[in-house]
Amino acid sequence: MKSKIKKQFRGYIFSRSFMEERVPQHVQNIIIRDYCSKKNIQYLLSASEYAMGNSSLMLRQLVKDLPSIDGIVAYSIFQMPEDNDERQSIFNSVLLLKKEIHFAVEGLSLYDNDTYNRIENLWQVKKTLPHCNFLEIN
Amino acid sequence: MNFLSKDEKILESEFLDQGYIIRKTANKDALEKIKNFVTDMLVKKGGVYLDNAHDIISTNELNDFRLDVIKEINSQSWLREAYYQVAKPYLDILVGNELAMQSRVNLSIQLPEDSSSLLPVHADTWSGDSPFEIVVWLPLVDCFKTKSMFLLPPKASNNLSDNFKFHAQGSSEDLFNEIKNDINWIKINYGEILVFNQAYPHGNRINKESETRWSMNCRFKGLFTPYKDKKIGEFFEPITLRPVSKIAMSYKFPITE
Repeated sequence: MKSKIKKQFRGYIFSRSFMEERVPQHVQNIIIRDYCSKKNIQYLLSASEYAMGNSSLMLRQLVKDLPSIDGIVAYSIFQMPEDNDERQSIFNSVLLLKKEIHFAVEGLSLYDNDTYNRIENLWQVKKTLPHCNFLEIN
Repeated sequence: MNFLSKDEKILESEFLDQGYIIRKTANKDALEKIKNFVTDMLVKKGGVYLDNAHDIISTNELNDFRLDVIKEINSQSWLREAYYQVAKPYLDILVGNELAMQSRVNLSIQLPEDSSSLLPVHADTWSGDSPFEIVVWLPLVDCFKTKSMFLLPPKASNNLSDNFKFHAQGSSEDLFNEIKNDINWIKINYGEILVFNQAYPHGNRINKESETRWSMNCRFKGLFTPYKDKKIGEFFEPITLRPVSKIAMSYKFPITE
């Protein structure tokens, strides 16, 4: 019987904090590897984003390389560029290439307009929350 | 000022006084769809009635089976919306109508005399949940006495909280012994939902009844209320984002330079 060919996804991790979260790189890789295993995805070694603030250089490179693989698995949605235009441009490039980008810790993926809106809603809410004038809760 | 209607005020006052409300499910079709789906999984294993699951599932295989069911129900795209629909009008009143919902719905299966699936007394806020969260607990069978869960009422909870330093050195069993005379065992039938304040201590004990308990639980909160360890994205997701919020979140001031 012919075995089903696994999709190949490149990992994407961060070497700096993102949205005030810091996760050790080896932990990010463990989560991505586990996600790929559960989704029956072949995990290709992760690219690590540069530590300089707001750099998305590695991510843009991964998007350029997408024609040769099936997609990207990032550790978190919130490792995507904070700037709306830049982030949306990357998402649009992924969709135009008919590829996918997955987010391991949230267990979500972007592959069509509906999932694009779902991810963008999460981003907009996340960016709005610090402006919500919360009471201090310990 | 309080512009809530009379019915809303009744619900509010009951929730504040007891720490929970029990009501008929708001959408019977959604409830039946959920129950049928879970029952089908038991039927595939050779069972018939959820109440009698202990006849075909041993304690040893319980957790694997439970995890399989959880994985399967959460892979259904309709499940979370159906779950929300059974509680919607009560959530609107108690929490609000712009909500975040837990990304995964949980399932508890409590076989008679099983000590492997116990949830010792705890408040969710003690382990990373925001006090702005609420739990919708959905029984798939009639639940009573030890087949159900217990909740410590608000007054006793506040007393415990004020004196927690005196209990902090003991075990959770010590803690249970301190509160066991004050707890309420929730009596609830299939077709009803329980909405409770997870900041009050709750849990379960060995099921001493002769039937298996099946219940589901899921957390909801106001979308724009404070989060603790359970974050937006990895644990919660917006489910009823309103148009004004959508517009406002991407609003840009006119460029003047």
